[in-house]
Amino acid sequence: MALDQLYQQLVLEHNRSPRNFGPLAGATHSARGFDALCGDDLLFELRVEAGRVVAAAFSGEACAVTKASASLLTEWLPSHGRDEVEQGLRNFNVVLQGVEPPDPGFLGDFARLGGLAEFPSRQRNAKLPWRCALEALEA
Amino acid sequence: MELIDELTIREQLDVHALRAEFPILERQVHGKPLIYLDNAATAQRPLKVIEAVDRFYREYNANVHRGVHQLSGEASEAFERSRRDVARLLNAPSEREVIFTRGTTEAINLVANSFLRPRLEAGDEILISHMEHHSNIVPWQMLCEQTGAVLKVIPINQNGELLIDALDDLISERTRLLGLVHVSNALGTVNPVQEVCAIAKRQGVPVLIDGAQATPHEKVDVQALGCDFYAMSAHKMYGPTGIGALWGREALLEAMPPWQGGGEMILRVSFDETTYNELPHKFEAGTPNISGAIGLGAAVRFLEDTGLDAIAHHEKKLLDYATEQMQQFEGLTIIGQAEQKGPVIAFTLDGVHPNDIGTIIDHHGVAIRTGHHCAMPVMQFFEVPATARVSFAAYNLRTEIDVFLEALDKARTMLV
Repeated sequence: MALDQLYQQLVLEHNRSPRNFGPLAGATHSARGFDALCGDDLLFELRVEAGRVVAAAFSGEACAVTKASASLLTEWLPSHGRDEVEQGLRNFNVVLQGVEPPDPGFLGDFARLGGLAEFPSRQRNAKLPWRCALEALEA
Repeated sequence: MELIDELTIREQLDVHALRAEFPILERQVHGKPLIYLDNAATAQRPLKVIEAVDRFYREYNANVHRGVHQLSGEASEAFERSRRDVARLLNAPSEREVIFTRGTTEAINLVANSFLRPRLEAGDEILISHMEHHSNIVPWQMLCEQTGAVLKVIPINQNGELLIDALDDLISERTRLLGLVHVSNALGTVNPVQEVCAIAKRQGVPVLIDGAQATPHEKVDVQALGCDFYAMSAHKMYGPTGIGALWGREALLEAMPPWQGGGEMILRVSFDETTYNELPHKFEAGTPNISGAIGLGAAVRFLEDTGLDAIAHHEKKLLDYATEQMQQFEGLTIIGQAEQKGPVIAFTLDGVHPNDIGTIIDHHGVAIRTGHHCAMPVMQFFEVPATARVSFAAYNLRTEIDVFLEALDKARTMLV
């Protein structure tokens, strides 16, 4: 059932026990992500050194998809710079089309979220943390 | 037999016969029978409405009020018949007072721009309530920005009821208009419109009522309510989208300048001068939504044939049953517990975001609304980012509420 692919164990588990949830000590960059339509409201915080993320955390209220995506992203971000985050979002967009991304290893767990292809109305949720992280890095 | 039993029987709705009039209710969603509980967003259409629109295009499609030919005559007649239908629905003294608009939003914007703007000065006040839909907030805010007028807000309590006692202090000699929702789409609250209008009238303040959520569920009588303007949408009451109406007192409408210029709203045009048409055409520039208006008339006749008393009685039973069941549902909080409610229940569920509830129960065939319901100040008041909302119509069944609750339980099991 498609629903089980959306709410797969990976998503459920990260929703129940989000990683890096809460304020980030020594944050250098931050951005707020807000989805007025569904009520997601995130604060994404990053510690950036020499153009690369060394730590990431998020707080706020959001649906399971956004929360899981944010949690996964805080694990993915460290060691990556702005250009790589942009590349990551581009590759993730390919996953959201239901297609195998160019370099699945680069995306890590995000490559496993292809179930979202059948839920166009929920893709904005999965992308919100990425937009947030990018905005924080631009600031 | 007791009087109350006789009344109950007379008001009984043959729901299964009624459902047969709605072809969409036969469809399946994700392999399950559709259970449509998103009626406050838009209701479904009965065959009478679908066929009225279809017949117009098949048999007498033509522009209105413009041709001498047969089809134009038939189209104009059907269009004006719908205006009389709406006037009758609202108990308006005259059909000249019924202006067709795109819906409630455009009706409110018409009043904002044609009625209020010319009489508004910096420091004047517009009064609305904390439970308004964005369509009864933003037009006034825009007007305030442009004129220096001030928007004031009537507070609500934790049940989602209007604090009517605050009204006397909030109305001042600078208050130029009071805008109030009849039935709140986000909370279900039915406001004491008659009482509010009486208070406003004592202070000489004109009142606009947003009736989008009221006309499908109860008999509206603009004369008894005592308001000055009443805005409504067809699609909330089984009619087409993109059509609605503004009712206004004739003396006020007569004194108002046209809002939009174009064809239909004029009597005579030269480059030196234009003479505007009479009511209601003065406010209906351009070729109108003719099929929509005809569908709206059919929707009014559908409500009358079904009986608004019977509909209200049936929906109240659904509301009471669902409220009782939901109050027993662990972790569920109903947002909006007013004494007087329309068939709307907004809620949150511990540990499950409304968005996820919506997606999961959709896969059980149940359609509900999730999000801010175009009433973000209400969300802020109750300190919730969003809510889920079920809203009932004449064709809903008690068994559908049971399926909804089972699906909700599955959502909780899945996510918590």
